[in-house]
Amino acid sequence: MNQQIQALQVEFIKNKYSNILWVTFIAFGLAPVMGGVFILIVQDPEALTKAGGLATKAQAMHFEASWTSYFGVLTQAIGVGGVLVFGFVASWIFGREYSEGTAKDMLALPTSRTKILNAKFIVYGIWCLALALSNLLTALLIGAMLQLPSIASQVVLLLLTDYLITTLLTVLVGVPIAFFAIWGKGYLAPLGFVALTLVFAQIIAATGYGSYFPWSIPGLYSGAGGAYKEMLDNYSYAVLILTCITGYLATVIYWKTADQTK
Amino acid sequence: MEIISTNALVKYFGTTPACDNMSIHVKEREIYGFLGLNGAGKTTLIRMILGMIKPDSGKIALFGQPLAPQFNQWNDIGYLVETPYAYPNLSVTENLKVYYKLRQLTNPALLEDIIEKLKLTKYKDKKAKVLSLGNQQRLGLAKALMHQPKLLILDEPINGLDPEGIVEVRELLKDLASKGATIFLSSHILAEISRIANRIGIIHEGKLVQELTTHELTDRLIKKLVVKTSYNTQAVQELLRAGYKAVLTVHDEIEITDHNAIANPEHLATLLVEKHLPPQQLYLFTEDLEMFFLRTIRTNKS
Repeated sequence: MNQQIQALQVEFIKNKYSNILWVTFIAFGLAPVMGGVFILIVQDPEALTKAGGLATKAQAMHFEASWTSYFGVLTQAIGVGGVLVFGFVASWIFGREYSEGTAKDMLALPTSRTKILNAKFIVYGIWCLALALSNLLTALLIGAMLQLPSIASQVVLLLLTDYLITTLLTVLVGVPIAFFAIWGKGYLAPLGFVALTLVFAQIIAATGYGSYFPWSIPGLYSGAGGAYKEMLDNYSYAVLILTCITGYLATVIYWKTADQTK
Repeated sequence: MEIISTNALVKYFGTTPACDNMSIHVKEREIYGFLGLNGAGKTTLIRMILGMIKPDSGKIALFGQPLAPQFNQWNDIGYLVETPYAYPNLSVTENLKVYYKLRQLTNPALLEDIIEKLKLTKYKDKKAKVLSLGNQQRLGLAKALMHQPKLLILDEPINGLDPEGIVEVRELLKDLASKGATIFLSSHILAEISRIANRIGIIHEGKLVQELTTHELTDRLIKKLVVKTSYNTQAVQELLRAGYKAVLTVHDEIEITDHNAIANPEHLATLLVEKHLPPQQLYLFTEDLEMFFLRTIRTNKS
């Protein structure tokens, strides 16, 4: 256990000065800001007429100046944008050692390779949850400033549950990216994989099979593109969890057994 | 006790042999220098010894323990493989702290000690990305030495160091060996290896082609007397008449390879003076390690 804690502390040391850390928070933070802009537009009929494209988008989404609409935007940002941003985070955490040339220094130590990987997975989870929390807090602040009408606590609970589950689904579906970072020995392979999953998630969801394609599931759950949540069944979640477990095991087995020549 | 023992190691990358039936035995307190051209298989062997690359066949034992997933003496080993990279946004101290924690060390004085020993005190709060190549090399060595390992595996440890740094590292390694450490190092700076190592292994195209102690090396280096006079042709004839194996080279120098002449060059000088052919120059040429190395691998090729 002590080894695991030390490995985790090491990951925190390695990431505390990473510029990527702030870049991800800023990039992901655009979602609540955009939601706030939508609220401003729909609250002001004059602005609605002047906002052009943004107004059209807000109307197409049936956006209203309410917490329900605002949370809908936030949850969809996690379910769709999260696949990209969380994928970026995973690519960095697992690919940086190869890009910086320090991977070889992690391989012959008393702390096992599995514990080092576990520490990275924990940091990945914490980082993604922190991104989700940061967006939530920003949204609460913006919503309060824009004086959105209050809603019943049961509704708040439902919205928060949706938000949290979408976050967890997106985090889980990002786990296999670690394998591509270690297999590809850097950032490029995992980022390419993220791009591919995003494209396929859209195409497969459009053909109606998205409920069984792991990378479409968080988006469908979030309600992006319509009320598709009902399409998801137990098999959908099983596929997603299986993808996550397979990704984790593939990463650990590859990291422990493959020839490390870089 | 054998600290490193490899038995008939074989590793192929595709059809290219990176390590072909290599058996190496490094004893306790030995400084074993490992020579080879780029791509000869030095780094592959080092990575195999460190468990980073799995051999296709053959066995490795460290401290008498087989290198297997259960191997638990990693804290007795310090290593530096190829270019030493560091986390660019972390300071020297933070970079070392990463390995301090991953090695489960519990004595914070080790950090300060190694920073001081490697002369990094001035840079301890500087980010690794602003360090010079030499100081990055020092940081790499600090990572390898911080936990006072019994076995040091160093791949090109003096790369990038200035002459002062080279001398410091040489003294440091000799000091560690005198205190009981075993050192296995590769380098392409052959003269440096000959200064540090007790035993030298020459690897070529994945094969160990020569293994010899420093004393054996001294014996095997080509030695010859090189003489120049005003009348070299006449001098050669006089030397041949006196029983020396003298040869006039294309550089218009006389080379004599007799052991007797090498052991007693003054006799040869006296002879030439008596024959009114006083030497303008007379020196003992000794083949350096570089020449020996090239001769060895060329002999092996042919």
